[in-house]
Amino acid sequence: MRSSYLLLPALLLFLVSCSEKHPDGASLINKEASLPAAFNFSKMGLKVITSSINKKQGTMSTLYGNDLALNTAKAGRPAQPGEVLALITWKQKDDDRWFGAKIPGKLQSMEMINTTAAPGAAATVTYKHYDGDQMALNPDTLVNQERIKYIFDQKPSVMP
Amino acid sequence: MSTAAKPPLKRIVLPVFFALIFCFIVLQFVNRPLITNPPVTGEIEAPAQVKAILKKACYDCHSNETNLRWYDKVNPVYHMVAEDVTEGRKGLNFSTWKDLAAPDQKGKLWEAVNQIIAGAMPLKNYTAVHPGAKVSLEDLAVLKKYLSDMVVSKPADTSKTNALDKQYKNWTKETAAQTAPSVSSNGIAYIPDYKNWQVISTTDRVDNGSMRVITGNDIAIKAIKENHINPWPNGTIFAKIGWDKIADVDGNVHTGAFKQVEFMIKDDKKYASTKGWGFARFKTPKLLPYGKTKLFATECVNCHRPESANDFVFTSPVKH
Repeated sequence: MRSSYLLLPALLLFLVSCSEKHPDGASLINKEASLPAAFNFSKMGLKVITSSINKKQGTMSTLYGNDLALNTAKAGRPAQPGEVLALITWKQKDDDRWFGAKIPGKLQSMEMINTTAAPGAAATVTYKHYDGDQMALNPDTLVNQERIKYIFDQKPSVMP
Repeated sequence: MSTAAKPPLKRIVLPVFFALIFCFIVLQFVNRPLITNPPVTGEIEAPAQVKAILKKACYDCHSNETNLRWYDKVNPVYHMVAEDVTEGRKGLNFSTWKDLAAPDQKGKLWEAVNQIIAGAMPLKNYTAVHPGAKVSLEDLAVLKKYLSDMVVSKPADTSKTNALDKQYKNWTKETAAQTAPSVSSNGIAYIPDYKNWQVISTTDRVDNGSMRVITGNDIAIKAIKENHINPWPNGTIFAKIGWDKIADVDGNVHTGAFKQVEFMIKDDKKYASTKGWGFARFKTPKLLPYGKTKLFATECVNCHRPESANDFVFTSPVKH
């Protein structure tokens, strides 16, 4: 019986080292930054074009696009019909897993650009702006032209 | 109930006990590892308050000023201590600090503080025996402030803009003709397809002035969609693309020169020795593999260790 007293500390140590909790997958998702599933964004198959940070507003954005949008931007050509671009913006938050890093926090807005063929012009640009929790379509068109220009002016990030 | 079956104490238990004592004594003399304190060649310079914390919490294993107490020298503990000191000095040594380039020193410090925040350092079995080495919340606040104060945010300097312009020109006129694929010393080849994968998240690194975009292959994206990410399925591949930061006068920060792309490839059998992940890093547009020998992956694992409960992955995925 006495030998089991000796074993006890060893056993405890063993249990402590094995008791590490593994959170389930769902809890590891960055939920507040995630897009509403109904948007089916990933089905569009857009690739990353570039990423940016607005320090004053404490936001970070990623610009996505289809192949045509990326190639047009790389070549420095004006918009071609058939381009799809999406600019998603998040509030930044501190990364609780790395002191010194900021990651996407609350989802703030999504801006979508589609270009279609237009007679007599290079392309017709359609711009849509979604925001809020449910990414509702924002009817305000006041800054549309400014935003379209901003998005088309983004230089793609170098990705060898 | 019979009492006759009870083993005679004197015949079995006592001899075993003495045999164990004998082994214990012998163990103290045979095969003793040697912990020496090599000279301190270039110690870290830091404010007194910071240095005092490093000394009490880190120096026993991460300097050439290891202070062994008598109970550290009793085997089998001594063997464990010796291994911790050897490994500790290999990963980070405050006594040979000046051998490191300035950016590496910064990187090591941020990593060290993050290891402390995550509770991975100082090692639990060490603080259990040396409670004085524990890092208090006040200590941690001192370390965090020390690091935060080191961050300087400058507007874009021309060297960064020039570096980007040069890269950008080469990149945009790049033709299909690629040179031989770059291969890391652990056998992992550069995967050019990473830029066609879907985005998982982004990071703004204040500590080292870089920006990252993390992409994942189809297996990774499917796993995220189904919340099957702890552990991640075999075949998962992440790419973490890193750039300099270039800030304009309005406080808008854009990606500067491409610094590197890092891969994590999940295969719990093939990469069992590195926690189920194959690590690789390719630097600059020349895609130079990082790490002279395949031992470089130990560095990756050590830094990812605080995420052991999350399958060694730092990124919290954003569903797209």
